[in-house]
Amino acid sequence: MPAALIVALGAAVALAPRDAPSMATADPTGPAGLYAALSDEARSRVLVAFDPDLGTYAEIRPAVRAALAQLVRGGGNLSFVSFTAEGRAVALAELDRLRRGGVEGGRLLDLGFHAGAEAGLVAGVDRIVADEAAGALAEALRAAGGGIGAFDLVLVVGGSELGPRSWVEQVGTRLPDLPLTAIVPTILQPQTIPYRVSGQLDALVAGVREGAAYVASVRDDATTAAREAERVTDLPPSSLPLLAAMLATILLLAEAVATRWRGSREGTT
Amino acid sequence: MSGLIGPEVGGALTVWVAAAATLLAWSILVGAQRPFVWSQRLLAGLLTGYLALLAIREVLIPRLVAPLLADPAAAPFEWLALLLAAMLLGARWLPRWVGATPVAVLVGSIAAFALGGAVVGTVLPQIAGILPAPGVSGPSLLAGVATALVTALVLLAFVHGRPQGRVLLRLGAAGRWLILGGVGAWLGYLVLSRLVLLTDRLAFLVTDWLGVVR
Repeated sequence: MPAALIVALGAAVALAPRDAPSMATADPTGPAGLYAALSDEARSRVLVAFDPDLGTYAEIRPAVRAALAQLVRGGGNLSFVSFTAEGRAVALAELDRLRRGGVEGGRLLDLGFHAGAEAGLVAGVDRIVADEAAGALAEALRAAGGGIGAFDLVLVVGGSELGPRSWVEQVGTRLPDLPLTAIVPTILQPQTIPYRVSGQLDALVAGVREGAAYVASVRDDATTAAREAERVTDLPPSSLPLLAAMLATILLLAEAVATRWRGSREGTT
Repeated sequence: MSGLIGPEVGGALTVWVAAAATLLAWSILVGAQRPFVWSQRLLAGLLTGYLALLAIREVLIPRLVAPLLADPAAAPFEWLALLLAAMLLGARWLPRWVGATPVAVLVGSIAAFALGGAVVGTVLPQIAGILPAPGVSGPSLLAGVATALVTALVLLAFVHGRPQGRVLLRLGAAGRWLILGGVGAWLGYLVLSRLVLLTDRLAFLVTDWLGVVR
């Protein structure tokens, strides 16, 4: 019964009409900051550090896809790199999606998987574009040094294994002028918010609420055709059903605790 | 595209496999253990195979085997890496120090990067960040003082192992309550975010698989 109730509530959340969260009250380095950072057409060479977890990627997928759409619409050239195996799997899927969506091949560069975690990240500061990488974008990056510093902006799609903290610690300290932005799931929120407050991250979208606000801003900016082309599942759920689901979950937990308490009382009498 | 009437067979097949895996994992909700265990084993097997493939295709061949075959004399670091890998692989049959050496190199180098980065990139900037900046007043000053106070109390909660005065003990207890409050609030928000994952799967089943709602 509780399981059926949870599934029913989830279905209600999935099918309920979406509302558009506002960025008006947001931190200038939050969703609004990410929107501004990705709108800057002077930063055309963007490194997308793609290392989300398979388990939590669904939570940030709408925001990530909105960010990629914003970058593509603004004329940006995207280079994908991963330092985790899970991130590489998701990066391949997203690259494939972008190519099938009509993004010209010359604007996408797959820098592949780099092993070594933090050590690999530090090695990438000097050299991240492989000699085998072909195309005008790869040539331009090699001419600019071939390392992470050859990019105008970094967008970190974070997971629990290697996320914005590692980028701030290993890359931010070596390339202090390189703008670092990030999108992370809720589980990383307590770990990453301090970097946003201290200014070590230029912009951060953390968790569901900020992701929804950012997606709404990108959708407002998109053409009607582009909006219609988006999948239903790319939209964030509305807040009212989420609240209802949260309250129902609390009730279910209370019911479970009460049942256990009654059972223990009966056992003692 | 709907999985039922999709024009691309590959795409439709992918949607059907994903839908079947989702339903297998959810079988635990109705008390069916066996399909749930199947889905767990499928995930573990796929991940293991994928990791092995990734290591061979994107690390071992392009960064170790190819440079050694192309110009063995010009690849001293690759020879060293090969030696360390062989020591690790043969650890079961060789003296203990042989297997311990590559592990020590691995752990030591990662710890050096992580520790150095943590001090320069996190500890020092964050300590600077909690101190109220000179010249600020009003709400900003209040927020800065509150942040510094909370940080100090939380740090005191981690003081262990020495005889402490009554004041220090009480401040440490306050810090522990602050930790509990912070973790509780975060966990509540985390539960909320997990509902989003559930709705994402439901939306996938309803829209992509069944094609009921567009």
